[in-house]
Amino acid sequence: MEQELLSLQAEARKNLDQIAEQGQLEDFRIRYLGRKGQFSVIMRELGTVSPEERPRLGQLANTIKAEIEKAFDEKKAVLSSSPQSGAKGAALIDLSLPGRYPERGSLHPVTQIMNEVCSIFEALGFSVAEGPDVEHDHYNFEALNIPAHHPARDMHDTFYVSESILLRTHTSPMQARIMESQQPPLRVIAPGKVYRCDSDITHTPMFHQVEGFLVDTKVSFADLKGILTVFTQKMFDKDLDLRFRPSFFPFTEPSAEVDIACVICGGSGCRVCKQTGWLEILGAGMIDPEVFKMVGYDPEIYSGFAFGLGIERIAMLKYGINDIRLYYENDLRFLSQF
Amino acid sequence: MKFTIDWLNEYVDTDGFTPAELADHLTMLGLEVDAVTEMFQDLAPIKTALLVSVERHPDADSLSLCQVAVGPETLQIVCGAPNARAGLVTAIALPGTTLPGGIKIKKSKVRGIESFGMLCSERELGLSTGHSGIMELPADTPHGQSFIEALGLNDTLVEVDLTPNRPDCASVIGIAREVAGVIGRPLSLPVKSVEAQPSTGEFTVDIESSELCPRYSARLVTGVTIAQSPWWLRKRLLSIGLRPINNVVDITNLVMMEYGQPLHAFDFHKLADKKIVVRHPRQNEMDFTTLDGVVRKLDPDVLMICDGVQPVAVAGVMGGMNSEVSDSSTAILLESACFDSISIRKTARKLNLSSEASYRFERGVDPGGCLLAMERAVRLLCEVAGGTAESGSVDKYLGQKPFNTLTLRIKRTSDLLGISLDYEIIEKALTSIGFRCKQKDADSLWVGAPSFRVDIEREVDLVEEVARLVGYNTIPTTLPTVQLSYPEQDRSRTIKAEIGAVLTGIGYFEAINYSFTAEKHLQWLGLAEDDPRCRFVRLINPLNEEQSVMRTMLLPGLLENVQRNINFQKGAIKLFEIGKVFTPKGDNEQPLEKTRCAGVLSGNRFGESSHYHFKEQDVDILDAKGAVECLLHELRLLGVEALAPLSFALPDQGRIEPFTDPLQFLVIKAGEQEVGYLARFIPGVLRKFGIKQDVFFFDLDLDALCQLRSVPKNFTSLPVFPAVKRDIAMLVPEHVAAGELVDAVLQTREPLIEQCEIFDVYQGSKIQQGYKSVALSVTYRSAQKTLTEKNVEKVHVKIVNMLGSKFEGTLREG
Repeated sequence: MEQELLSLQAEARKNLDQIAEQGQLEDFRIRYLGRKGQFSVIMRELGTVSPEERPRLGQLANTIKAEIEKAFDEKKAVLSSSPQSGAKGAALIDLSLPGRYPERGSLHPVTQIMNEVCSIFEALGFSVAEGPDVEHDHYNFEALNIPAHHPARDMHDTFYVSESILLRTHTSPMQARIMESQQPPLRVIAPGKVYRCDSDITHTPMFHQVEGFLVDTKVSFADLKGILTVFTQKMFDKDLDLRFRPSFFPFTEPSAEVDIACVICGGSGCRVCKQTGWLEILGAGMIDPEVFKMVGYDPEIYSGFAFGLGIERIAMLKYGINDIRLYYENDLRFLSQF
Repeated sequence: MKFTIDWLNEYVDTDGFTPAELADHLTMLGLEVDAVTEMFQDLAPIKTALLVSVERHPDADSLSLCQVAVGPETLQIVCGAPNARAGLVTAIALPGTTLPGGIKIKKSKVRGIESFGMLCSERELGLSTGHSGIMELPADTPHGQSFIEALGLNDTLVEVDLTPNRPDCASVIGIAREVAGVIGRPLSLPVKSVEAQPSTGEFTVDIESSELCPRYSARLVTGVTIAQSPWWLRKRLLSIGLRPINNVVDITNLVMMEYGQPLHAFDFHKLADKKIVVRHPRQNEMDFTTLDGVVRKLDPDVLMICDGVQPVAVAGVMGGMNSEVSDSSTAILLESACFDSISIRKTARKLNLSSEASYRFERGVDPGGCLLAMERAVRLLCEVAGGTAESGSVDKYLGQKPFNTLTLRIKRTSDLLGISLDYEIIEKALTSIGFRCKQKDADSLWVGAPSFRVDIEREVDLVEEVARLVGYNTIPTTLPTVQLSYPEQDRSRTIKAEIGAVLTGIGYFEAINYSFTAEKHLQWLGLAEDDPRCRFVRLINPLNEEQSVMRTMLLPGLLENVQRNINFQKGAIKLFEIGKVFTPKGDNEQPLEKTRCAGVLSGNRFGESSHYHFKEQDVDILDAKGAVECLLHELRLLGVEALAPLSFALPDQGRIEPFTDPLQFLVIKAGEQEVGYLARFIPGVLRKFGIKQDVFFFDLDLDALCQLRSVPKNFTSLPVFPAVKRDIAMLVPEHVAAGELVDAVLQTREPLIEQCEIFDVYQGSKIQQGYKSVALSVTYRSAQKTLTEKNVEKVHVKIVNMLGSKFEGTLREG
């Protein structure tokens, strides 16, 4: 019995050593280790051995079987990790064929930029509010310190629906609407569509803006610079040069325009930046005391800043889009690039 | 506002600063420089030339044969100009030169005689329309020199994009003042002060509408000879793109550009009764011919300058033909006035006429500056046009405002700007551009704004001036100290974001169309006239018919997109849009704005997915349904559990749209309320949009979806015991909907039934006509035990029998 066990061990070892392909493993397993394999046969024969010998031989049989099993597992692991594994028998797969996945669509580039802008400000604790596209003259102009016949109305070619109702020319009416119904402190951005009756190679009659404002006690122009610097650097590049220069908006004072170093030429001057090396990306300023007075805030207590930026322009700069009309043609050859 | 560096240098010495540096200073002062251009570069090859001798061309009476000295060379030139004479210094284009008009000069033969270049007129050089002869340059001009250098044309044009608050900078002096302030050099003015002179009664001025004309001053200059202006004066105007006309008009234009004060010159002898009356037009005076020869329709609100009988100018906008200065004029009445900005603006709008004068008056002209500009013009009329200034003048200054002294608080200024300032810094900044400052107390100062700064009315206006002069870039960059708060997200925003994620995930691209559309698009859809979607919010001033009404549906825009994409050979189109539609509520009332989400699909189901793996198949109505199902599942509004608020339903009688296939139409309902629908467009409608292939769509009311409660995510324990699957193939009459069988199975509420799915629907030769085979797969499972065949069989038989009796079905054999 003992002899039988030892020769079986030697034979199994030898056969296992000779196995070179995965396909042979199963035969080996069935022959030696399977339910009807040779070890099982011997184990069953243990019943015929004398009771004195039985524990020792049983233990020996188990040890040998365990050893062969271990060797078998090792062999199996070695063979399965070799590069040719599975190659035999199965059809060769042409890996130059395309991967298999259903096509995905994408959001409009304007939406993508809009989401990016909003998420930067949301991370800074601004809430998001959306207002009506068709707006009262009052909110679009009067409440923003742009009375009738103010020359600043020239900056807004307005679509009218009736004498006092118009398509908003900017998202700034939300400043007045929100301040009218809420008390400071306020930190809000208002994204949306705006309209101007202007259509040429650089203007579409509809475009998108994000208005933002922050009102609290002790808000300063330096804070405005801080927030917009953070925004611009997140939106473009953290090492990007930017500058604030004086400008005019009837609803802010002091007013500023923010330029970034031209992303096309890096500041050396090109056609896009009109040789100036700078690109205007947003307008901003400290909220004018007149605007505060109209919503009943005391400008001696509260101060705040507001800013507005054009989404299409940012998308043009970020993605290098050179024709604004592409935005609203919804050509899939355009949309699928983003 | 345009000016040149050479012109600027008349008032402030900018030596040592390049045009680019000056432009940068201006931009950083809020006077944004749009362009800096080297001028007359196309004239660089032109040289000065001296006519040494001039003889008649032997074969042509009208031509001269000239020997012309150009530096060391003497050239033979054939010239047709009547003013060619020996001793004249003029401009020459040598062979190889291209003139501004595009003419290339070559060596040529004129009537048999060789000519080595061309002597040029002002028109040929693009300087003016003058073409009466070749240019006559000052006799002491050396020949052989660069023409642009000899004439001082080598100048730089600067264009400033003025903001509406800075009318004072619509003048070269205004710009010079800012430059002088920033580079710390003195400003020198041609006329600094002027003594008012009492009227001698030579003429009178009456102002009937004094509220619209705060100041009107006038002066008489006699003995004037109308002629072409001298070169220096024409050059100034030409350099900024103004057309020289004659010496009198040119002087008024020059002084307007210099001081920002519009002036007008009347032919004094054409003014009836030697009188100026500022008034509105009378009923019989409503047609008026302006200087440009156009007859203008006036209205009673327009302010006019009149003589004793009739209007002679539209105040502040444009003069009239009837009092125009002509070649025979000898006496000039010069007007230097100030008009109400709103009135001028309305007039310019009404007459659709704007001028350099109206541009300035609309923004605000300094009434305090009228006399200085007039004095400057009078002096020039005397110098240039040989006039004599009559001693008397009229100056009606009825709208003089009290001098406005403002208090500026230093701490307030520092706090608002976020920079530490003191009296010295503020005083230095403000006085650099003509403000007067005086310390009031420890924290404040009195500030007097110069009268030309019509924009300075409040303390905050001064704060801006300080910021601007100190420089925005010197203000530090800080972050505001604010209380922490959590911004609440609007549900509609999160839903929009989820929709975007789901639909792009299943191959849809987002479209954005204009909110305005063409009325005809809704007619193309076949909507009845009384359909609520044919009630439009209409634009009063649309850009064109295609964009004249606010959209009431998203589908027409998307159909246009489909058409466009088919034209560009896109084989697969899946687009969606989230946007507003507008319904009018009433005049002078804001319309109702509703947000919808619509999608269109056409062509290959798998789009740009690999055609190797996904064989081309056209989309059908179930793709539209699938998109909506997927979307609403994800929003947990449909089918998650019995709790989900939404379900699909066949349309009720009369619900079908005129543009849809009645047999391929599903509504999405929340109880009885419809929140959306999906369907197939009928080909007739698509043809109107230029589409010849099938298009399907879905259209959801996003506002309604936002109102619904989505099923909360709630964990269900994983099943412990295995499931048993049984298939049933039922033969049922073909009108029975497969989904009804599923519903019937689930409605039995047998506790062992976990799921029931359709896995095949078959109709064909192997099946009795009028019938179809519906194959269902039913999953049974118990939460308590492993089901045996026996357990399942009992229920399964019940189900089969139920289906058989309910749908007149039979179990299909095999």
